[in-house]
Amino acid sequence: MISWDLFGAWLCAAMVVWIYSFVYRDNVFYKVAEHMFVGTAAGYSIALALDSLNRVLISPAVRSPQTFLTTSWHYLIPAILGVLMFAKYSRKYYWLARYAVAINIAVGTGLALRTVPIANVVRQITATIVPLWGSDPVKVFNNWVLVLITLGGLTYFLFTIFPRRVEGARASPQHLVYRALYYIGIYGMMVGFGALFANTIMTRVGFLISIYLIYIQPQAWASIIAAVLAAIAIIVGILRKK
Amino acid sequence: MSGLSSLEKVLGSKELLYTLLLLSVILPILHPLGIPVEISQRTRDVYGYIEKNLRSGCRVYIEVYYEVAARGELEPNLIALTKHLFDKGCKIVYGSLGAFGVVAFSLFKSMASDLFEGKEYGRDYVYLGYIAGGEAASASLAKSIKGTISVDNYGNRLEDLPLMREVDKATDFDLVIIVSSGTDVFSYYVRQWHTPYGVPLLFAALSVIAPSIEPFVGAKQAVGMLVGQRSAAEYEVLVGRLGLGIASMDAQSTSHMLIVAFIIIGNAIYWSKRVSSKKGGSK
Amino acid sequence: MSLVVRRHIPQLIVTVIIILTVAFYYLYINKGIAESFTTADKALSDWAVIITSFALIVGGIDILRFHLVRLRKEGLKQAPFSAVTIGLLVVMVFFALHGWFLSYADPKAGITITTQPQFRWLYLNVYAPADAAMYSILVFYIASASYRAFRVRNPMALLLLVTALIVIFGNTTIGGLIWPGFLPLRDWIMTVPNTAAFRPITIGAGLGTIILGLRLLTWREVSWLGRRE
Repeated sequence: MISWDLFGAWLCAAMVVWIYSFVYRDNVFYKVAEHMFVGTAAGYSIALALDSLNRVLISPAVRSPQTFLTTSWHYLIPAILGVLMFAKYSRKYYWLARYAVAINIAVGTGLALRTVPIANVVRQITATIVPLWGSDPVKVFNNWVLVLITLGGLTYFLFTIFPRRVEGARASPQHLVYRALYYIGIYGMMVGFGALFANTIMTRVGFLISIYLIYIQPQAWASIIAAVLAAIAIIVGILRKK
Repeated sequence: MSGLSSLEKVLGSKELLYTLLLLSVILPILHPLGIPVEISQRTRDVYGYIEKNLRSGCRVYIEVYYEVAARGELEPNLIALTKHLFDKGCKIVYGSLGAFGVVAFSLFKSMASDLFEGKEYGRDYVYLGYIAGGEAASASLAKSIKGTISVDNYGNRLEDLPLMREVDKATDFDLVIIVSSGTDVFSYYVRQWHTPYGVPLLFAALSVIAPSIEPFVGAKQAVGMLVGQRSAAEYEVLVGRLGLGIASMDAQSTSHMLIVAFIIIGNAIYWSKRVSSKKGGSK
Repeated sequence: MSLVVRRHIPQLIVTVIIILTVAFYYLYINKGIAESFTTADKALSDWAVIITSFALIVGGIDILRFHLVRLRKEGLKQAPFSAVTIGLLVVMVFFALHGWFLSYADPKAGITITTQPQFRWLYLNVYAPADAAMYSILVFYIASASYRAFRVRNPMALLLLVTALIVIFGNTTIGGLIWPGFLPLRDWIMTVPNTAAFRPITIGAGLGTIILGLRLLTWREVSWLGRRE
């Protein structure tokens, strides 16, 4: 008798093999797995949205309706507006969905807007105001690197108007400073992108290792068979191409 | 020239590269090489912060926000941090602003079941479940958890859970840890928990997003950051519970070396061809 | 319906709520008013939480509609695949609703939407492995791209490669065997030049958010309205 756990282990292994087969070429097994993923992901998303809605709105309303009506009655407004979002499927009343979207966009933007100037701008600027002279040469060097690359990056991103150099004439000091900062910015960003590239490899290999976690299950033999299947799929793929 | 071209062609075959890559990950997991793990100062700083600042009875909020694919990098971090916090006698409230956090938490709990032995649900730890809304939900939870959701992930009323009688808002927590595979969620907590309330944040991020959130750590908007599997391995050593983090490091080493070798060979072939074509041109 | 109801009132709502949300945070008149501001502010956030749940449901139903249309229009070649998606979506939602029903009908059983056994089985055995596999195949492409496209053509590319190599050796344990200095050097790169390189991007993102807010406030940003009249 095949238990649900055993069937689950097989299905897990098969899903991984089917999806990996896409690395070699698109095929029917991949397409099945892809559509299974989309179906479960969409179903999961709806279910979890219901779960959240239940715990935020429905549960308090059902369990203690009196308290809900006295303190949280205004939750009914977003609930009604939320239902109106389904009007987007109507050719005539599609605009009703905009009321809910308006509230969501406005709250999201308003919440971000009130702390972004501090969190993303002021705190970042104050963190770049560091001593450029001192007794510790390592610290001073680090501070110079920090300040110059930050200023260079800002010059590259934000100050898009570059001081012009008149042909034949000597470059003005502003032009030279701009040019120097511009290049420091670019080279500084290359260092950042180099670190990003290295870390990207780390994450992608980490994703591959996550697959290993799927295979550690009580039904180890199911995993072994799946691994063999994967190997066969790879070999068949190579032979077919040849 | 033809030798270089044929070498480029052989190495350029995706079947060879993909198979080597798979082997470079699978073999070291099955047969570990046992390369020792050095502990970086940054990981020690995070460990030291928890050791120094958190005492028995401290309350910690942990955001579990990563999809199943990121388990390899973030689950070992979450397990090691949870072990450290439980060892210190802290109480933990877990929550998720991402729907996939529910799957991640469920898998995390089954992988680290030993940590929860002897711990009572509701008294020592609570899982709030998924709360939709992103930044709005984050802002709402910072003001009042019980005012946002009435029941936890398992249907228990929050009022009935002893731990939830102790905590309700951002300032009730001694530390907030964000274990996330998404860049935006770190910004949510910086903007809605740290900036208005000054709650100390600790990041546990995927390696790939760590560089982009580094400015927040540099500006002291977070007390520290654990980055991917490497930090997880180091933290596992520090807390004395070896797991997937340390087990993965050999596989990370071999696969990285394979990719480095391919990059170097690719460039060597490119430059050899370029130099020889220039020589040919000058003739 | 007139343009006022279809466009202008939603835009006005956006303007008013943005102003209110910012005012609730910055304005302080007295303790009593500050408390009522906090209550109103919390209520607005909760409204967004509730509306997001509905938006997610609408998103799921969009996928259902898309595949229903494909099922009808694209014939046998696509139909079986769309049927798989529709079938699994419906089954997932059915089990979720069952869990939801049980959470009220039999609360002592401790079953909710996320702990409903069949729902849990599906997300652990179909959704979870598919998610992990989908993302992890990217490793093959990045390895392939590293070999084919990562060419040192100029000094900038050289700097990028050298930094990448130092961070790679710092990230891996084998780097420590080659030279113990890779790990502190990686930490230095991450905390000094990398932080400095990403700081302007963080500031730029902040300024971008502020500009977006101002555009919404002044009705210049209309993409959120969707279809045009």
